Amino acid sequence: MIRKLSVFIVGWGVICVLLAPVLHTIWVSFSPDSFLTPPTTVWSIKWYLAFLHDQRWLNATLRSLMVAGMSAVLAVIAGTPAAWSLRKMSLPHQRLLSLLFLLPALIPPATLGFGLLPLVYFTGLWGTTLGMVLVHTAIGLPIVFLIVRSCVTDQLSELEAAAAGLGASQWAACRRVTIPLLSPILVAAGIAVFVLSLNESLVSIFLATPTNETLPAVTWPQLRYSPNPMVAVASCVTAVVGMSGVLLVLRLIGLQRGPRLKRINSPLHRI
Amino acid sequence: MNRTTSFLSVGPSAALVFGLVISPLLLLLRVSLYEPAVGRGFYSPGTVTLANYATLADSHILSIAGFTLFCGLAVATASLAIAYLLGIFLCSLPARQQLVALGLILVPKTAGLLAMLFGLQRWLPRGLLAAIIAEVYLVLPYSVLVIFIQIRSLNPILGQAARGLGANRWQIFQRVTLPLSFPGMFLAFQLGLMWGLGAFLGPLFLGGPNETTLAVELHRQAFEYGRWPLAAAEAVVLLVLVGSAALGLPAIARLRKVAHL
Repeated sequence: MIRKLSVFIVGWGVICVLLAPVLHTIWVSFSPDSFLTPPTTVWSIKWYLAFLHDQRWLNATLRSLMVAGMSAVLAVIAGTPAAWSLRKMSLPHQRLLSLLFLLPALIPPATLGFGLLPLVYFTGLWGTTLGMVLVHTAIGLPIVFLIVRSCVTDQLSELEAAAAGLGASQWAACRRVTIPLLSPILVAAGIAVFVLSLNESLVSIFLATPTNETLPAVTWPQLRYSPNPMVAVASCVTAVVGMSGVLLVLRLIGLQRGPRLKRINSPLHRI
Repeated sequence: MNRTTSFLSVGPSAALVFGLVISPLLLLLRVSLYEPAVGRGFYSPGTVTLANYATLADSHILSIAGFTLFCGLAVATASLAIAYLLGIFLCSLPARQQLVALGLILVPKTAGLLAMLFGLQRWLPRGLLAAIIAEVYLVLPYSVLVIFIQIRSLNPILGQAARGLGANRWQIFQRVTLPLSFPGMFLAFQLGLMWGLGAFLGPLFLGGPNETTLAVELHRQAFEYGRWPLAAAEAVVLLVLVGSAALGLPAIARLRKVAHL
């Protein structure tokens, strides 16, 4: 009993410590001052109102949401077939290809951002929203790849084989069996990319210009030169959107699927 | 499944990665070989030199590279340790609480990192410890996910079997759970190392002048001094470090396995 209680306290304690900076940011966002000081006696929503009336912050928020949405869709469209075929077909250089698709997450973002500067400049993507979308799509690719690959199971292959056995063409099997079965996973992967893109700060800082700046890119100079609670407000805005996204992803992927044991024991699975 | 299908399915992703990840890195390699700019611009076009790499041998930059290595190892070790505890804790929770706890662990990843790190300055005085803590904070949610998935995928029958054979809880953990979760721990350590080597925001916001990593230094060289070739050379060194962590660690692990046999 005591052991259980202590595990409980330590575990939730660590989680609370992890949450402290987030709570602190929320606290600061209600400050009436012009500095990042947490309010004690007087609380105010003045910075939230200021946020709603500041065209630059609003535009950046909208652009962030748009970039996140578009890159989520593109990353799912590009990443899903790759993950599916790597899992199912015997392609040459499987491991190398997996590494390739995970590469965007493994490269230090500061190097990636710096390397993208000349590239974006020479290709005419400089200062365009399209450039930002493409970069975020590449950054989101590993997530789609990992999520979809882990969900393309033997069971799915069996159902596809059954469809083929019933006379469906490859495309029909994909359209009527694979995509419907995978759809919650694809939505989850899309939301994960959306949340990631919304909070992607490093590469955005390197690539942003006044014509395509996202929320973190506006936050950055503000924090460095005149930090005020507006940045905390912006943080809270992404937190609300991001948190709803995370909850949706966890629900869609479903943690309650239970341990693998079930599959091993089930005689049905062997048939 | 014919060649066309496989080509079509892998094509778009491969094009994205080649176009937006690999080609920028190759460009960096090229930029690192330019001579510094004379007058306007960021570098002298059309020149080829190795002088930038020679500049890196400077004791100041060597100490930065040393700190980068230390940062990588410290972040990897600390995040692995904390993530393992959290992973075990998560697995001991009932399904619904597990979902809530995992969601809460991911919260910091959703709430504008910049403002949050800035807020940390109030509670943690700038310095070595603060820089490492901040970076661990950024890496931790991913490490927890990796370890949690690994521990959850263990077959519970093995633990029950060990109990049937008379093992107590500690023995089950030590002889069954721990060895079986090594692959996840290894992956978490490797990811922590790679991300820790590339640390930028933590050292920038919470480190002092001594806590400069290669990523911070290259940002400073490129944006404050406009010395692109030198910054690019630093980026290449950082990439070599991260690449060796990616390729070297599995090789070491394989060697150890062979030694055990």
